[in-house]
Amino acid sequence: MNAKSLLRYVLTAAIFTIAVLVAITLWRHYMYSPWTRDGRIRADAISLAPDVSGIVVEVPVQENQLVHKGDVLFHIDAERYRIALAQANAAVDARKADYDLKRREAARRAVLSGVVVSSESQESSASSASAAAALYQEAQAARDTAALNLQRTEVLAPVDGYVTNLDVHPGDYATAGRALLAVIDSHSFRINGYFEETKLPRLHVGDAVSIHLMSGGPTLHGHVESLARGITDRDNPSGPRLLADVNPTFNWVRLAQRVPVRIAFDQIPDGVVLASGMTCTVIVKPHD
Amino acid sequence: MPREIELFGFFMPTLLPMFLLAFGLQWLLDSVLARLGFYAHVWHPSLFRFSLFVCLFGAMGLFLY
Repeated sequence: MNAKSLLRYVLTAAIFTIAVLVAITLWRHYMYSPWTRDGRIRADAISLAPDVSGIVVEVPVQENQLVHKGDVLFHIDAERYRIALAQANAAVDARKADYDLKRREAARRAVLSGVVVSSESQESSASSASAAAALYQEAQAARDTAALNLQRTEVLAPVDGYVTNLDVHPGDYATAGRALLAVIDSHSFRINGYFEETKLPRLHVGDAVSIHLMSGGPTLHGHVESLARGITDRDNPSGPRLLADVNPTFNWVRLAQRVPVRIAFDQIPDGVVLASGMTCTVIVKPHD
Repeated sequence: MPREIELFGFFMPTLLPMFLLAFGLQWLLDSVLARLGFYAHVWHPSLFRFSLFVCLFGAMGLFLY
């Protein structure tokens, strides 16, 4: 075998070896490097329901408007609650007068000797003074409740955020406890990255993350905040008679489950508009 | 570099157009090599061509991931 024919073999073998190595590396990167195109922007959506029922008289906000914590979102007709407060105040006054009377009476009888007033009468007046005191306190509590109800006719924004799903208009009847609008907390934007379980071993809390929104724009940066420690086992619903409803599968084909990983933004650049539910690609840079 | 690109309204992995690019590049390189008579120095030309393509495509893919 001469040098030329050896070169022929070596050249082919060399490029073949390189090709195999490159293919394996690419495969490993594609399969195991922690990235996913199933990232979702999430934010806290707070459903706001009035604490008291009544007719809505004013809605000073508009849909999708930015509001700050403490801003009034809508007013419920306060007249009924103002009247209730006046009534409660009157009851407090009445109970106080009654209590004062009974207290003085009991004090007067207590100092008189047993000859003038029977001890039974002393006891009974002391006890009715205590009962009047308790009723007075009850009236005060009722007044506080009435004042609170009056205060709650103004529904305030609990956080800084955006008004969403505003479905309340002046004239609507608002029922206590039934949500009428949602506020998206503008400080709570984060990402849920759904990572295949095969990619989790190379992903750690604190790792830097690059984020590409599906809508384009600049690359955003963040870090891994935490990993979910539970997803639903889809083979675990119970069927009839409480027996497990296990799906039959092909033995060889197994699908990787996806586990949500919570990613915090380091900083959101000005001009980048985020909406809860948007899609993004998330690439984790393992720190090794 | 984005890992998926939008074409006519649907998203596809960037690997796909990259594959086509590697294919074109391979075709170009192959015709140049053939004209230079390089394949006379190669034991198994089809294996060489295939390996060359894998190298091209793989290198571009690694650049992406």
